[in-house]
Amino acid sequence: MTNATASSAILSHLHRADGSATFSQNGYTVIGAVNGPIEVQRRDELPVEAAIDVIVRPAAGVGGTRERHLESILQSTLRQIILIHNFPRTLIQVTLQITNTPEDKVAGSKIVQASSHLAILPTLLQTALLALLSASMPLSVIFTSVLIAAHKDGAITSLTPNPSLVGFESADSVHVLAFTLEGKLLLAESQGTFTLDDWDNILEMAGSVCVPKDGADIEGGVRIEETKEDMTTFVKCTLEAKVAQDLHWYT
Amino acid sequence: MPREVEPSLNEKQFFVKALEENLRIDGRAFDQYRELDLEFGDELGVTDVRLGKTRIHTHITAEVTTPFPDRPFDGLFTITSELSPMTSPFFEPNRPSTTEILLSRLLEKTLRRSGALDTESLCLIAGQKCWSIRADVHVLSHDGNLVDAACIGVLAALQHFRKPDTSTEGESVTVYTLAEREPVPLSLLHFPYCVTFSYYSSTVEEGETVTLLDATLLEEQLREGSATIGINRHGEVCQIAKLGGVPLDAVAFLGCVQIALVKVKEISVFVSKRLEEEAKKRDKGGLMAELSAENDRVS
Repeated sequence: MTNATASSAILSHLHRADGSATFSQNGYTVIGAVNGPIEVQRRDELPVEAAIDVIVRPAAGVGGTRERHLESILQSTLRQIILIHNFPRTLIQVTLQITNTPEDKVAGSKIVQASSHLAILPTLLQTALLALLSASMPLSVIFTSVLIAAHKDGAITSLTPNPSLVGFESADSVHVLAFTLEGKLLLAESQGTFTLDDWDNILEMAGSVCVPKDGADIEGGVRIEETKEDMTTFVKCTLEAKVAQDLHWYT
Repeated sequence: MPREVEPSLNEKQFFVKALEENLRIDGRAFDQYRELDLEFGDELGVTDVRLGKTRIHTHITAEVTTPFPDRPFDGLFTITSELSPMTSPFFEPNRPSTTEILLSRLLEKTLRRSGALDTESLCLIAGQKCWSIRADVHVLSHDGNLVDAACIGVLAALQHFRKPDTSTEGESVTVYTLAEREPVPLSLLHFPYCVTFSYYSSTVEEGETVTLLDATLLEEQLREGSATIGINRHGEVCQIAKLGGVPLDAVAFLGCVQIALVKVKEISVFVSKRLEEEAKKRDKGGLMAELSAENDRVS
């Protein structure tokens, strides 16, 4: 496998869906498609806002409670950023197909399935966001997310952003945090045991991975030469490349 | 869910007019397939087939289970092909559409009932332990001819897949992980591919039927009949499915089988070429032959 933590994305590659994206990170690959706003079934119809339907499909097998749980987390997160009040009595359908999960050479494939649901959550969130952007869905704000594993070593807790599979399995606690572009916390899911001090450190580290360090260049767009590690820059660069490719005819 | 949009009258007339002039909308010959592309995933048994704009992702997994009590010597082989709204928003999750039922039925008939995968070789301990091979077919993008593309995807994935090596001592089975022993390929007996023909009769002059191969979505929506022929490269017909539609001349239909054979030979050559290229890529330092725990097959 290539560089495990490197992220890559392809936008608008499925021709029937309104918007689509493939996103790989940390050994996980997810294909996302967004359709909407479309006609909604009567029982799901909401009078003043759009209904959001998230479908998570595993690479192998049919979805179970784990997928339903992920769907509910995604649904409540995406509700916050899509301008749902602009499209009352419609449906916005987000389909996320997991196509690749990191393989464990030592253990069988079943153990990876059974492990925590949090490992794939940042990839799912990011794919959903890219697919929504590809579908030109009006959003109030974009977000970025990160997975953090905390290992306790006596009194010191070491934190790893986007850990490998081994790092993830051996962690004392794992956390998924999502931040909006302004650096506001959008989602926090944790699993395992940790102290309040750990949590403060985790929050700080997650912020530095997700959000650009100086808030100044948010207004001015992306400066490519500044290759920073944060996810916001990644999302911006991906979109910029896509827009440049789509508008190549325009002088 | 919204209803599938049917082609407009203009589209239909344009298509019919073109067909009368022996033309297809995308400029292909009547018996020409779209560009076929086959990619393999990082994991074994993962393929991504593209046939024009149709794109199908197939994932093979294996696990040890108990065989059915009435078939103690057979392993399990299941194909699941659930269409998601990703394919098109007109498919509702958890409610099978006609397309989905037909796709899974045809794959079942062609691959499972024809015995492409030797299920007896999946048996570990008779009546107690066997391998269960599962093929998940994910249709990512639907632009017609799902059956042919899915068939190519599943067969290529089955050939690409390696199941963990096992050893049996009395009643206990040891499954070796990838690090311990090189996994072994599945035992496939033959490779039946599907070829779908679309028929148009009322659109052209009386008594004449136009036959198209590898129909796009528009062509599928406008066709008056279709037949899927499952055939392997030795010319052994595994299944023929002609579900209603226009009546056909028997001799003409035999001609279709001959055309299917030619196409299947082409597809077989393409798939084995891609598999060879992939095997070369995976063969680190040419050690694969030595690492393999598989016995040479005596034939």
